[in-house]
Amino acid sequence: MTEGSLVSARLLVFRVGTLACAADVDQVREILPRLPTTRIPGAPPVVAGLVNVRGTLVTVVEGWRALGLPPLSPTPSPDAGVIGSTIILELGKGEEPGNGGGGGGGGGGEAGKLIGFTVDEVVDMLASGETTLEDRKGLPGVDPTLVRAVGRRNGELFIVLDVAALLGPILPS
Amino acid sequence: MDLSQYAELFLAESREHLSACNQLLLEWERNRASPEPVSGLFRAVHTIKGMAATMGYGRVADLAHRMENLLDHLRRSGRAPADEIIQLLFRATDALEKAVGLAVAGREREADLSVLTDIDHAAIQTKPAPQPSALARHFAPEPAEDQSLPAASVASGASAARIIDVVIRSEAPLKGGRAMLAVRKLQTLGKVERVQPSVAVFESDDFDGRFVCELATAAAPAAIEAAVRSVGDVERVTVTGGAAADEVQVNPAESVAGGGRTRHIRVDLRRLDTLMDLIGELVTERGRLNEVAARWVGQDPEIDEVAIQISRLSADLQNEIIQARMTPVWQVFDRFPRLVRDVALQLDKQVSFRVEGKEIELDREILDALGDPLVHLLRNAVDHGIESPAERKRHKKNPEGEIVLAAVRERSSVAISISDDGRGIDRVKILEKAKREGIVGPHVESLSDDQLLRVLARPGFSTAEAVTSVSGRGVGIDVAMTRIRALGGSVEIRTEPGKGTAFVLRLPVTLAIVRALIAAVGQERYALPLTYVAETVEFGTVPLTTMEGRDAIVLRDRVVPLVDLRKLLGTNGGAPAPPPRRPVIVLEMGERRAGIVVDGMLSQQEIVVKGFDAPHGTLPVFSGATIMGDGVPALILDAAGLV
Repeated sequence: MTEGSLVSARLLVFRVGTLACAADVDQVREILPRLPTTRIPGAPPVVAGLVNVRGTLVTVVEGWRALGLPPLSPTPSPDAGVIGSTIILELGKGEEPGNGGGGGGGGGGEAGKLIGFTVDEVVDMLASGETTLEDRKGLPGVDPTLVRAVGRRNGELFIVLDVAALLGPILPS
Repeated sequence: MDLSQYAELFLAESREHLSACNQLLLEWERNRASPEPVSGLFRAVHTIKGMAATMGYGRVADLAHRMENLLDHLRRSGRAPADEIIQLLFRATDALEKAVGLAVAGREREADLSVLTDIDHAAIQTKPAPQPSALARHFAPEPAEDQSLPAASVASGASAARIIDVVIRSEAPLKGGRAMLAVRKLQTLGKVERVQPSVAVFESDDFDGRFVCELATAAAPAAIEAAVRSVGDVERVTVTGGAAADEVQVNPAESVAGGGRTRHIRVDLRRLDTLMDLIGELVTERGRLNEVAARWVGQDPEIDEVAIQISRLSADLQNEIIQARMTPVWQVFDRFPRLVRDVALQLDKQVSFRVEGKEIELDREILDALGDPLVHLLRNAVDHGIESPAERKRHKKNPEGEIVLAAVRERSSVAISISDDGRGIDRVKILEKAKREGIVGPHVESLSDDQLLRVLARPGFSTAEAVTSVSGRGVGIDVAMTRIRALGGSVEIRTEPGKGTAFVLRLPVTLAIVRALIAAVGQERYALPLTYVAETVEFGTVPLTTMEGRDAIVLRDRVVPLVDLRKLLGTNGGAPAPPPRRPVIVLEMGERRAGIVVDGMLSQQEIVVKGFDAPHGTLPVFSGATIMGDGVPALILDAAGLV
């Protein structure tokens, strides 16, 4: 993976717990509010369940669990309304899956698979050139195999997630 | 002209003709003296040749042309063909089928045309006594030959041409000019060759207004005639040869009328899939509308009326689209006679193969997925089921074994059975082997049909004494069963020593929309298709027992093992305590039964079956999911995974 391919990408920046993360916009299909999920018996705890995205069934992954973070507020206050968002990502499109961690998933060739990823807040969209990415593998407390690069926005560091390495292993190939 | 958009159509149509070729060859093989098969074969191959030439698939066209040549010789000789010829034609048909597939994939160069030498060789050997060519005969002095051209001689020339015979009215002025114009018009439809008399003669005073030419074209006879008639003062046009019929005398008044008969169009299956998805969403939204209407009906009763109308319309629409996806099973079954014949030949068995219920319809998607499992089971039947002719004679059976493939419509499913009158499965041998491999305990004394199937369906389990190239590699029944179950179907086996074996596959008629029970388990909802629901009883009202260590109920003297969904699905957390009288849904798949214990029954409704990418670890008891009226998904339980 070259630095050049990272800099040219537009990034969607979001927050999971206290961690600022980003994903390649080309892999983001859409951003939705949190949707009611249906539990999938037998699936690992990282899977929040199945949601209905206008007639298509999408498996949703709990963001903080996938990143190994502690839960922020276990029970959001009812007055706050729906907390957080679900980002619908398309796997097997854009970048090749990472070669570390769980061995990556998906792989090129086939049509992209959709998978949801819950975040606490969508922060910003960065156009190409607005940020400089460092090919640094991660921040303390984050599994380095899930990190493609580290960027900086308003002085705050964020990690660019290797979406395929993070979510690919959850779905069957 | 870019023809790529026609490639799929070419493939589909060629496959139909090739399938017809196989059927005709089988018929010819059985009845060598019959004159019909060769004519049909000739037409089918000729049509493929014409289409391939239009598409620019030179190798396909060449192969078809040479087959056609051989068939023409055979047709004209009128003699029963030798066995080698029939076998050669089978091989040639296979080669043509492969070449067609490769051509459409853009890899025509890879087509194996080694069969051509044999075809040409056979064509020379079967060539009848020399006869004048079509055109020569047309202009032969005998007036009888002049009147109508025997179809058999049409294709003896090198080209796939239709022969056009044009007569300009004798009283018309400028007959030569008209004829010239007619030739030009024909040139817009294809390549015009062998114009007789030659165009130069058209200008002479002696030209009587009649000419004949060959036209290589894909255009229909009616179109050809219309083109010629458009020049005016045409007394008669006769189009002979070509794909559609041996001889077509086209009358414009007839050719215009197409009404009265059912008309068909080809539709891309993906279109139908999309349509089905949209209908699915409509059905989902209809459910929501009904819920809203129920809430508001107090304020305005009209909303109820509208909701009912919308429900009715969407139900009709749904029905129509399901019908449009239905395909008769012969579309897949028609290739099996050839398969069974080939396998039988390879194994020196004598088999008569019969297909019943060809017209029974299934959803296209199910039918397509059914092909491979049926191939496995049919190969198995020939290889393991049917005995050798000598062995059959020893057992006082007809040396020719029988295999029947039958489709029968049942309640809301279709049963497809593959039965043979062979030796049956040796339970003792299977039991021994199962014990040796530790599949069943050493104390087991006999296997029921059901247990037998479970043993046979274990991956890698094979009873074949010697592994043949046909089957017996230990793949087959397990693959077939997995596929059938993935389609929401079930497999049953019946076997009797010395009498034969039957596999019965039960499949839902359609995958897309099914009626289902919506059951509550804790706070969750699950859908259970009604296809395999036999009845529901209340826990506590029927006697309890155990069966192989599992809880079970006794229902009309039969022990039905229970599956508690709360336990199976790991329902936990804030789920309320189960009600005292939990409903038990009894599922029935062939001989197998299971009672599914749930917390409550919410409704019975039509659901749209959708697939989802099940995460790793998902329990293997779901066949998909559906979207409920409130927009939230509910998982669909797979009966085959539960019983």
